[in-house]
Amino acid sequence: MQIAVCVKQVPEITNVRVNPETGTLIREGVASILNPFCEYALDHAVRLKNGDPGIEVVAVSMGPPQAESALLRCLELGADRAVLVSDRQFAGADTWATALTLAAVLRKEVPGYDLVLAGKQAIDGDTAQVGPEIAEILGLPQVMYAVEMSFTPNRKRIRVKREVESGHEVLEARLPALVSASKGDAMRRMPSLADVLAARRKELRKITAADLDLSESELGLAGSYTQVVKVFPPEPKSGGRKLEGLDPAQAAHEIAAFLRAERYV
Amino acid sequence: MHEITSRPVATCGFDDVRRVDGFENISAAYPAYLTDESKFSCRPFDHLFFPRSEAELSAVMEEMARRGIKITIAGARTGLVGGCVPNQGALVSLENFDRVLALYHDAPAAEWRLKAQCAVNLRSIAAQLSAKNLPDIERCADGMTLLEMDRFRREPPYFYPPDPTEMSASLGGTVATNASGARTFRYGPTRAWVRGLRVMLVNGEFLDIPRGRYFASPSGEFVVSDSAGRDYRVKIPTYPSPRTKNTSGIFTAPHMDLIDLFIGSEGAFGVITEVTVGLLPRRPKISIVQFLQSDEQAIALVQALRAESRIRLDLLESYSGSALDLLRERQRRDARSVGTPPIPETAGAALFFELDFDPADKTVTMDALDAVVRGGGASLSDSWSAYENRELERLKGFRHILPETINAVIAERKKKHPGLHKLGTDLAVPDERLRDIWAVYREGLAGAGLEWAAFGHIGNNHVHINILPRDMADLEKALGLYQMFAEKAVEFGGTVSAEHGIGKLKAKFLKTMFSPEAIAEMRAVKKALDPNLLLNPGNIFEG
Amino acid sequence: MLKIIHNVCNLCGLCQKSCPFGAISAGAEKITVDERCTLCGACVSVCPQSALSIERRQASPEELARSVGVFVWAECEAKEGRLVPRRVVHELLTHGRRLADRLGQPLLAVVLGDGRLAGLERLCHQGADRVICCRHELLGRYSTDGFTTALSAVVAKEKPSVLLFGATPNGRDLAPRVAARLRLGLTADCTGLAIDDQGQLVQTRPAFGGNIMASIVTPYTRPQCATVRPNVFSAAEPDTRRPVAIQDFPVNLSKAAIRTRVVEELPAAEFGEKIEEARILVSAGRGCGEPSNLDLVRRLAHRLGGSLAGSRAIVELGWIPHTLQVGQSGTTVGPDLYVAVGISGAVQHIVGMSSSKKIVAINKDPDAPIFKIADIGVVGDAQAILPKLLDQLKSQ
Repeated sequence: MQIAVCVKQVPEITNVRVNPETGTLIREGVASILNPFCEYALDHAVRLKNGDPGIEVVAVSMGPPQAESALLRCLELGADRAVLVSDRQFAGADTWATALTLAAVLRKEVPGYDLVLAGKQAIDGDTAQVGPEIAEILGLPQVMYAVEMSFTPNRKRIRVKREVESGHEVLEARLPALVSASKGDAMRRMPSLADVLAARRKELRKITAADLDLSESELGLAGSYTQVVKVFPPEPKSGGRKLEGLDPAQAAHEIAAFLRAERYV
Repeated sequence: MHEITSRPVATCGFDDVRRVDGFENISAAYPAYLTDESKFSCRPFDHLFFPRSEAELSAVMEEMARRGIKITIAGARTGLVGGCVPNQGALVSLENFDRVLALYHDAPAAEWRLKAQCAVNLRSIAAQLSAKNLPDIERCADGMTLLEMDRFRREPPYFYPPDPTEMSASLGGTVATNASGARTFRYGPTRAWVRGLRVMLVNGEFLDIPRGRYFASPSGEFVVSDSAGRDYRVKIPTYPSPRTKNTSGIFTAPHMDLIDLFIGSEGAFGVITEVTVGLLPRRPKISIVQFLQSDEQAIALVQALRAESRIRLDLLESYSGSALDLLRERQRRDARSVGTPPIPETAGAALFFELDFDPADKTVTMDALDAVVRGGGASLSDSWSAYENRELERLKGFRHILPETINAVIAERKKKHPGLHKLGTDLAVPDERLRDIWAVYREGLAGAGLEWAAFGHIGNNHVHINILPRDMADLEKALGLYQMFAEKAVEFGGTVSAEHGIGKLKAKFLKTMFSPEAIAEMRAVKKALDPNLLLNPGNIFEG
Repeated sequence: MLKIIHNVCNLCGLCQKSCPFGAISAGAEKITVDERCTLCGACVSVCPQSALSIERRQASPEELARSVGVFVWAECEAKEGRLVPRRVVHELLTHGRRLADRLGQPLLAVVLGDGRLAGLERLCHQGADRVICCRHELLGRYSTDGFTTALSAVVAKEKPSVLLFGATPNGRDLAPRVAARLRLGLTADCTGLAIDDQGQLVQTRPAFGGNIMASIVTPYTRPQCATVRPNVFSAAEPDTRRPVAIQDFPVNLSKAAIRTRVVEELPAAEFGEKIEEARILVSAGRGCGEPSNLDLVRRLAHRLGGSLAGSRAIVELGWIPHTLQVGQSGTTVGPDLYVAVGISGAVQHIVGMSSSKKIVAINKDPDAPIFKIADIGVVGDAQAILPKLLDQLKSQ
């Protein structure tokens, strides 16, 4: 059995700042990390593997050559091998072109996949589109926002507990399927030093666009249906009054007065 | 050269200095200035000063000397022994001495150096160096300085090695206390990184002391002359210093450098206003928590790691089995509050260490480490490791959460027994006595039936034993035990205070470690440089 | 047109079952497709042999111009035994009306559901010129496969110029699926939509956790698809004088084509009103100290007649369920009143609540970013202030 996990390297978003003069992102000093939701997806794969050592877990990523470090982390956390597809032609890819490329990588490098896992969204783009688009391209059923999963005894289906608006629900999907992971109760694991050392001896295959069954017109900006035409800083919000140095009773009084004036009480 | 002359600074009027008079006014408006991290309570004092320049500081010193009022100096108030907590007179807060002054490459030493005023804190130094962005320096229009800054930006990243955990500590405070911490294992204490000091003496004049210029005479003497031609003769003490990291008493050594007399002197001899420190290139690291079966296995592994010359560890820390139990209990109550995966149920102790690591190096093997750990009956598979920044932060959090957890337990018990407090030791012994002192700790604690957790700098044989008394009777037993541990540490050639200092809280331990003659020698130095005992009364010397 | 590789096809018949229009028939030797085919792609998606494909070229300006109409997927929710459109649909129709008028094109709402569908005239009152309604017993509850097939069928047949979805959990599940099936550009989580001089839809969305905004166009494909965060646009008062036109759109769905099934529902314990639709929210953050202090926050919410919500930090600490999480990775809210208690206001949080009409903030840190957007901000300890506030509100 094979489980493919699609992962993305992202900037550590909490440290991203915007240059107020140019409106561009300040990337200096911002570390690149494995997208946390991708890490939860990988963790599900590793747990499924723990229940059946015969399962092979393959981490797959599209990104610049530096994205290798995100795949290294996947290998440390228990992936058996990793594939990085990297090419300048991918530049400017929107979610569709990205999904098309990743689907081609899966067909080529993990043809026997029974389950494709992904993070529910990447913390830099937050689109949550690539997973479902891959599922559609590969003709797979999809389950989003998973927090727990297990195979049914006959291995024909995956049973997924997922977040929904009213709480949770348990869903079963026919295999092969694509499941996207939410955070739930997951806690990012810490690899042992033995894991870290072993990861550096596992297979990390690097391929390019030429290795895929896709035409140039399907890649990157050329293959994208959407185009970014402008990037700009958000409008600064203007606040009202900030009150400092009040004792609790005074503070409560000010808030109560505001609520009354605005007719909320 | 053993003679140095102090020089006056430009003066200003005493009344220009911002101040608050009267203890009631001070305690109402500035309650934070009444204590430090030890939570030791001050005694009433009459003045609080906020000088903004050396001229103002000098004016305060002269005026206080004229009136015979004693002065306590405060930096960031992060000390653990009440050093900056006044017991009379005046408190002078140096918080406005907060500028970075220079960054330059010292060619003879082939070293980058940073010069800053005493109140600049370590977090700010770390952040500025890491971002290579030093606004104080960039504001200066001096072409040479800016050129040097450009050169620094093209260099690989640098850092200031001392890391006393509390990063809001002020640079001046860390020099006055010779602060150390986890990384002292590899890089030594603050003393090892101080390249120059500017010190204001009690006469209101200052000394500029670069390292390597003023040494004690063969007869063990320094002569400080002031601008009026008066001489202050200092006879350095003759007792031997312990072979451990140490912050008890006054540093002394034959032919010692004058700068070392001021480092770690807890403000007894003068006020440090400027500090020059050396920097090191920052290399990527991997942090490891190695889980083990028992405290004894941890000690054996520490000795094996130290003996293997191929392994260079930046730090080597420990968690006792009892400490892990406390954290496991916390994880059981709230899995997320510790910020790490669950601590393995089988772990009965852990070591925490850090070493150089290049994440991109695919050939890395760490054979020597693997062999030592295996030889100690453990496995690198039973560990947590981290090398990305966010993961390093996670492990750092794991280290800090233990003292926090202990404080929370004590705070809970305090509700029932208001007089209760935790007891944390700061004892260190020479390398070869680690096993012996551990046996003393274990038997003492077991015999007294006390609850305890140990953690800290085991690589320097400097483990903090934290006793968690359940009631006042426990506290009594713990205090007695602490005294016994201190005596044993001294007997083994160690120290009663390896990093926290003596301050006002541990003055009684000084007598455990030093003979009356040795203490008299220290007092003689104090008397020579501060004849009227005006500076930082109560620190080191009781009364 | 639909391409069939006959020597790969094993005549399993899944495509026939999946076709919403009954355009495919399986003969003894090969399958055939008739003129009812709209190229909706349902068959391509289910074919286990990959024997079916649709060649989609990028369209010329003339072809793009033939796509007409602003469509809104009118997501419904179950309420008292009926399926009614949810609030974000009214918001989208209100703004969609502006876009349609600017284009000089009609505004349509597409409803998918079963016999319990009700209240559809409201869609016209809210601005739709027409409602397209697919009723099918398999559309009674949301499934990715069923809804993708039905909505793709409508879109392939009607060829709109713009297609909008609420960025709800189901909207974000469905939109990329439909877009991928029909080979369409899609922009996620838009906070702004406008029509430019060329008649293109300009979609504005935050990226990098809200630190930066991007404007995005979809030059070559129609419809131009976007998901839009709830509470970004406000819904107009419904105009009951507007004419109501509801058109049935028959679709053919088979159970076999729906490859997921719900086996258990586990509603969250603390789940009242959807925070997305709350008029008043009192929201707690890490600054509340410990979970037991949430009681004060809950009491304030109760006193104000509002609901409890919270920041990502306290959801991750397990103090409240994810259903109550405000922000980038939670729900975008836009209540009349938002009281932030112990929330510092990371940019990811602000993105999720900045359209609130009035904002009250209590935080210990005077530099907390929440104060930059609060109408009234108090620097102080919430644990000390809230009891006094509750007293004051009680005493009047």
